[in-house]
Amino acid sequence: MNAMEKVAWTDLTVSVVAVAAATLLVPWLGSRATSAFALLALTAMLSVFFMRPRGNRIVIDERDQEIAKKATSVGVGTAWFTLSAAVATATVWASYSNTHEVSTVFLNWLIWVQFAICFGVKGLASVVMYRRQRHAS
Amino acid sequence: MPRKKEPTLSNCIRDLRTKSAMTQQELADRVGVTRQTIVALEGGAYTPSLALALRIAKVFSKTTDDVFQLDE
Repeated sequence: MNAMEKVAWTDLTVSVVAVAAATLLVPWLGSRATSAFALLALTAMLSVFFMRPRGNRIVIDERDQEIAKKATSVGVGTAWFTLSAAVATATVWASYSNTHEVSTVFLNWLIWVQFAICFGVKGLASVVMYRRQRHAS
Repeated sequence: MPRKKEPTLSNCIRDLRTKSAMTQQELADRVGVTRQTIVALEGGAYTPSLALALRIAKVFSKTTDDVFQLDE
């Protein structure tokens, strides 16, 4: 497994763990359970660790860059789509239920979940692309 | 409307490498990629950039036509 594949697995795992931790902490912390999304910072820290230089050996090459570009596009696209759909649904719901307001707690959750979706989908897309290339032969 | 099928690129990198008694890591180091990319290339799962194809051909002192074939 090369460095960027480890980064992909890290993105996927940390995102799933962050969402699970935030959900599990809701009964105790309420809306402050979103602090569990701070775990997403691990993706950046571990990426730096995995991509550290190793002598003259190549760590990231053109195939890794190509996969990262496609996966980022899929992750960001999915996050934007779900964000738009969630905001539209919340707005329609608020206007039809005569409350005419959207909870800031809901918006806080929405923003953090979008980050988790972005990293999670990016990681999943990368893992799938790496596995396809490995099993093609 | 039927879609045009993408042509695939086959290669003889594995044969050339074994004839040269070179490991995948040695070839990877010489052309500036990771060993996993050489694995993907030999398995026909990855289409290299023109620059990488030229570097691989140069390592074996061949032309790109000798190393890569277009399967249409």
